[in-house]
Amino acid sequence: MKMRLQAALFFAACLLPAAAIYSDEVNHIDFHHALLGNPSPDSTFFLKPSSSSNASLLYTLSDKMLVGAVNPRDGALVWRQNISRSVDSPAHAGLLRGLDGNDAVVGAVGSYIASWSAQDGKVAWENRASEGVVADLELLELEDATATSGVRDTIAVVASEDAGIVRRLDGNTGKTVWEYKDTSGDVPFQVSSSSTEVFYISLQSAMLKGFKIKVTVLDPLSGRQTRQQILNSETDVATPDSVLYVGANSASPIIVWADKSQKTLKVNVIGTKEVTSLAIDNTSGSEIRQITVHAPHKLNALPHFLVHFATEAGAWAEVYHVDLMSAKVTKAYQLPYLPGQSVFAASVIDANVYFTRITDLEAVVVSSASHGIMGRWDLQKPSSDSALHSVSEVVSKGKSVAVRSALFRKHGDWQLIRNGQIEWTRHEGLIDAVAATWAETAAQEDLAHELEVEGHETLYGAYLHRVKRHIRDLEHLPDWLKDLPKRILSSILTDEVSNLDSFGVAKSVIVATKNGRVYSLDTGNHGAVSWGIQAVETSQWNVKAILASPGVATIYSNDGSSVTVDVSTGDIVSRIEPSNSKLHAIAVFAAQDGIALATVGVREDGIPVTASASEDGFLVTTSIDGRVLGWVAKDNKTPVWEFVPPSGQKVVEATARPAHDPVASIGRVLGNRSVLYKYLNPNLVLVTAVNEQTHTASFYLLDGVSGKVLHATTQVGVDSTQPIASVISENWFAYSFWGDVDGSESSAKGYQLVISELYESPLPNDRGLLDSATNYSSTATLPLPHVISQAFMIPESISHMAVTQTRQGITTRQLLCTLPSSNSIIGIPRPVLDPRRPVDRDPTTAEAEEGLFRYTPYLDFDGKWYLSHTRDVAGIKAVLSRPTLLESTSLIFAYGSDIYGTRATPSQAFDILGKSFSKLQLVLTVVALGAGVTVLAPMTRRKQVNALWRA
Amino acid sequence: MSQARLPPPPPPQWVVSLNSPMPRPSKAASSIPDPPGFSSRGGKQRQQQQQQSTTKKPDETDALKMKKAWEIAIAPSKQIPMNAIMMYMSGNSLQIFSIMMVLMLFKGPIQGIINTNAAFAKYETPSTHSRLLGVKVVYMLMQLVLLCLGIWKVNAMGLLPTTRSDWLAWESERQPLERAHFAFR
Repeated sequence: MKMRLQAALFFAACLLPAAAIYSDEVNHIDFHHALLGNPSPDSTFFLKPSSSSNASLLYTLSDKMLVGAVNPRDGALVWRQNISRSVDSPAHAGLLRGLDGNDAVVGAVGSYIASWSAQDGKVAWENRASEGVVADLELLELEDATATSGVRDTIAVVASEDAGIVRRLDGNTGKTVWEYKDTSGDVPFQVSSSSTEVFYISLQSAMLKGFKIKVTVLDPLSGRQTRQQILNSETDVATPDSVLYVGANSASPIIVWADKSQKTLKVNVIGTKEVTSLAIDNTSGSEIRQITVHAPHKLNALPHFLVHFATEAGAWAEVYHVDLMSAKVTKAYQLPYLPGQSVFAASVIDANVYFTRITDLEAVVVSSASHGIMGRWDLQKPSSDSALHSVSEVVSKGKSVAVRSALFRKHGDWQLIRNGQIEWTRHEGLIDAVAATWAETAAQEDLAHELEVEGHETLYGAYLHRVKRHIRDLEHLPDWLKDLPKRILSSILTDEVSNLDSFGVAKSVIVATKNGRVYSLDTGNHGAVSWGIQAVETSQWNVKAILASPGVATIYSNDGSSVTVDVSTGDIVSRIEPSNSKLHAIAVFAAQDGIALATVGVREDGIPVTASASEDGFLVTTSIDGRVLGWVAKDNKTPVWEFVPPSGQKVVEATARPAHDPVASIGRVLGNRSVLYKYLNPNLVLVTAVNEQTHTASFYLLDGVSGKVLHATTQVGVDSTQPIASVISENWFAYSFWGDVDGSESSAKGYQLVISELYESPLPNDRGLLDSATNYSSTATLPLPHVISQAFMIPESISHMAVTQTRQGITTRQLLCTLPSSNSIIGIPRPVLDPRRPVDRDPTTAEAEEGLFRYTPYLDFDGKWYLSHTRDVAGIKAVLSRPTLLESTSLIFAYGSDIYGTRATPSQAFDILGKSFSKLQLVLTVVALGAGVTVLAPMTRRKQVNALWRA
Repeated sequence: MSQARLPPPPPPQWVVSLNSPMPRPSKAASSIPDPPGFSSRGGKQRQQQQQQSTTKKPDETDALKMKKAWEIAIAPSKQIPMNAIMMYMSGNSLQIFSIMMVLMLFKGPIQGIINTNAAFAKYETPSTHSRLLGVKVVYMLMQLVLLCLGIWKVNAMGLLPTTRSDWLAWESERQPLERAHFAFR
């Protein structure tokens, strides 16, 4: 019977189309945070990609070199492009430019320039400046007579070793239209343009110190120099960063800088020689920390600009007007000093310029022409997290205005505030997740504790305890009864899949990111962030482990410090200061039920920092120089064993079976009902070692207690620069690599996936040397496993492997593989990866009954296996799995760059009522039958009585 | 009992006339020809035969009973070929028909064995009692053969826990005496 069950499960797993994810399950069982990273302040903007539609998208180039478009309505990612692979020097900040009604955004990082379609993100052209890095980029807003219809041209400034090159690139092809070379040795700085001219701004080193600003005016059609001006700014401009602003694409582009004491502001209208000095009227009493200029980026916009002065405690702003005729700059009005952080943004409707100011409490819109407030909204949820920068889009309706602002906050939240209300929040701070774990809630602990108490008492005592517990539980009865109608209604109206939260499907995940932040994500609520805290002030948080115990999670860093947070609120419970030893790993002495007991840090040389006094287990560590060491937990002086791979080989990875890895059946039933017994040993270690000289990869299966090598295999022709992933679970292990085998027997070139199963004996019905012994010692007699292996050619590389975990391990397992080149996560059913599949022949009846089918060397990834289906899940570093109370269902959480979570049902959801099951129909049928019976019963009774009388 | 035993009452007239031979027909009556097809001799013979059978009665009925008993004892064996073919043809898959047939196959012999005495009750006389014992044994053997057929079928269907895999769930994983903890990253 077991055989048949297995066969049924197998068929369910791989033959029925139901193993795939249905379209109505998308966004229902899974969630995806498609992240971009921190949007950079000067490369983020609202843009209408199409001239025919008024809809705009929010574009950005992030610090992670991701170009993306976000729908401002719901914060969903429309498209994104990762250019970090194309960029040779990621140290440079990127540039992204776009124009309204122009279906192209142009971005540049380092020497790389590319243009993407603004609507769908398709690459229009790519270009590489061979001379140097791109210093600035502008799109020519005005179409000239020579330009053909289509996308506007780009002006790029390339800074090479000794010269600055200004280039006009064709908008459709990216080809150079003209080029202007400045060989004077100035520092190429920026480019700007007005309706008639292109300005190349460079910084000329002054005699003693500082820079003079040199403006070269170029003809936009030919690129020839028309005139040149040098502004005497050397006393103020010490570094290129001293120039506050260079306006672009505006009727009167300006250059703004301030003197060193920040008393006066110097403004030059580009193309003129005059420099207007404006006194800074600092009434706040404290030092100005930052000056930012916000000006419209449109040719037809009024030449007004806003200067934002920020001090430590508050901010104010001044609005200036430029006279187009005389090129005079005059102060128009001032936005008053307000305590707290303010962010400003400029936006344009037709020719009118609007400035939006968002403080911690309110959002205000003013017109550039006068200081009258056009709109003011209180922020619904004032945030304690200070805003860094924002972009705004203003819509005017008669006299009233509406505004939406995309605000980037210090802690990585990108929020859209529409008229004071938060429309959506993108948690871009999640992008560099380095570690994650499933949280344990305290409520479970209470029940577990009670059950434990009951388990240890006498029968009578336990009974009393239980009765008392249930009486105590009665206090929840009124609430439960109150909820009952709602629950019944909702369970009838909605399908089963939607409310499985009581089956452990809704779990919290604690995620730690590289920049010291900790988030809690709720998998039951589409991965919504329940809280996010700044646990550590750092930019390089090297988290070694996160351990969840009921109610709290402790995050261990490599410097020996740890932070314990409350998983429900995010409050920091306790903190351990860093010690002087650098840690390589954290050893966890876990109890059988997975609740962590004690931890011991392991130094980089593989030596535990302290000896655990209470534990009498064994400890296996790796050292940074590629050794695997075995210790008795009580002794951290001398290792019990040491595994050093043969010379030339370097240990790159070591894996062990997951902590929760239940085995439902200890043997494998063959077609003739005999049993192949699985080699089950929880202490197995799979060590991957590579030899870069001879291009081999060796895989060693060790016993973690004795250090004995149980199995070793070497693959030749391995490219060690490609990812080598490995996993071990139950009685099998798998690994993948890129191999180029050219032998007499077989030759294979490409990615390979090798699976090996361990059995106690090659013979069926044989339990090997130990036979029916109930326990064994690794140090005494440890028999070697019988290993059956098979290799498959796979279409692409696997960067990480994991295995689905279910409550009892009855459900077939899936091998969870992260595919970095197609940005997806795949779950390969284990029956497909069976090394016992018959080679070069069809299976016999007995084998077919076992679920084996003919071996094919090429394993094509079936579309149904893709857990991430059509989603583009990028940059995944690790995948976690967790059992739920439903045996069929395993929770999956992937993190790295993106965050992705879903549920896997490798043998279908056999313990859940499907969507086709209509509870309403069932209830109605029962009701109808009941009604029928109540109506018919008296009639029948009367008939029977009448029949008796008649007889 | 104290009463003196009364002499048996005289047999009724009809008994007397039944037992006594037919009175010789009168002359006039004998002159009447017999109806066509009637032979007075035959009647005589029959009477004689009757007379004979009544005289042979206990032995012959016993033999007859034994013969009948043997027929009943052997009867199940006649079903064996048919059942075997049916069982062979019905296949080893678990279907409602094959299961029903197997159940019938079990029900028949088991009921037969339980009702052995009832089946031979008709032939049970003090004289045949000892001889019926062997017949019953043969009968039971035949039923057992049928039962074996059923068991063979059940085994072929894989319902008997005869293989190692059937006991796999009762075997437990060997527990290691030592437990290792891992610290990799």
